Amino acid sequence: QVKSKIMSRESRMRATINQKLTEMGERERLKEILRARLTECGWKDQMKAHCKEVIKEKGLEHVTVDDLVVEITPKGRALVPDSVKKDLLHRIRGFLAQHAT
Amino acid sequence: MKMEDMPLSGPDNTRLEALAHDIYSELVEDACLGLCFEVHRAVKQGYFFLDETDQESMKEFEIVDQPGVDIFGQVYNQWKNKECECPNCKRLIAASRFAPHLEKCLGMGRNSSRIANRRLASSNNMSKSESDQEDNDDLNDNDWSYGAEKKSDQNSPRRSKSLKHKNGESIWYNYNTGISYETLGPDEVRSLLTTQCGVISEHTKKMCTRSQRCPQHTDEQRRAVRLFLLGPSAPTLPDADAVETDSFDIPDAQPLMSRLQWEDSDISPTDSASSKASTNHSDSRKPKKKKKPSLPLNSGGSSSQSNISISTKKKRPKLSAPPISSIYDDLA
Repeated sequence: QVKSKIMSRESRMRATINQKLTEMGERERLKEILRARLTECGWKDQMKAHCKEVIKEKGLEHVTVDDLVVEITPKGRALVPDSVKKDLLHRIRGFLAQHAT
Repeated sequence: MKMEDMPLSGPDNTRLEALAHDIYSELVEDACLGLCFEVHRAVKQGYFFLDETDQESMKEFEIVDQPGVDIFGQVYNQWKNKECECPNCKRLIAASRFAPHLEKCLGMGRNSSRIANRRLASSNNMSKSESDQEDNDDLNDNDWSYGAEKKSDQNSPRRSKSLKHKNGESIWYNYNTGISYETLGPDEVRSLLTTQCGVISEHTKKMCTRSQRCPQHTDEQRRAVRLFLLGPSAPTLPDADAVETDSFDIPDAQPLMSRLQWEDSDISPTDSASSKASTNHSDSRKPKKKKKPSLPLNSGGSSSQSNISISTKKKRPKLSAPPISSIYDDLA
């Protein structure tokens, strides 16, 4: 019972934070920053090249969104440069420090 | 950026840290998804592979990564050390300095005329200001010394001067290099001629501003000019319609001369041909010294021989003093 209370407290906190993130436009801002950074550092081009391979493999006509998602996402996550990751985390922590009770 | 980007510490903060990572992961995944959608749409719409062609063409335009060459494979400092021989002065000039040098050398740039003007103005009394390199070739042919009488040259740049000159119209500028008789009244002409050489260059239609003993012109020329400008009889009035004649006999410029002397061009030209002209000119005689656009200075025949063709309209090199004809009409 206590556990569930704690959990729900935590999940409530998370929910609040997430809500704040969205409402204050911070989420959108962070998204933009991330996209820009990823393009700058060449991540996007890398991923596109990988996409080409997948497409050639699956065939232009038949490739689906899911195909791509399945192939791209894990690689994408892994290929994010450390600097970008650090920068993002830094900003998020900053936000949390400000708005988490 | 902070010096140390430490994760939040403490029990609560562990959660916060975890939360931060979760948020981060969410963001990254969102980016990946976005890319997938983008690519997928491009594939289905058919523009995903647009930037690819056959292997060969791809090879052709690959980025070049060699030393001394830019990414297109072009050598970018190829001409740095080259020298070119100037066609004018025959010197060897560095490639990057070549264009400015040519400007000065040929006297065609914006600044070169100013510099030349200045130089002439200052050295004018001393040296025989031989045409510098900076003069146009045309002016080089002049027998004029640019004894720049420092008239208030209305700062007409040398360039425009020579342009005007080319048209045979050197009407309203008193260039540094000489006086245009066309803009002078008869009195001024007379006074000028008593002090200066005054011989008119067939090129520029200007009077030599050097002394009466100037070495560039003979006394004969000086006499001719004086006759021409101040002769006993008025010169025939040129036909307003620019009847151009090429030869000009000074001795016969009687009508022209007298015209010059008298304000009202009531001069009856000795030649019938010029009668019309005279009338015309008497009318047009106004106290204007400047800005007489392309004066059709053609003493229409006047006296049979005073075929004065002041080719204001066309440039014609004159052997003798160019006819002044009705220019003076407009002079006060």
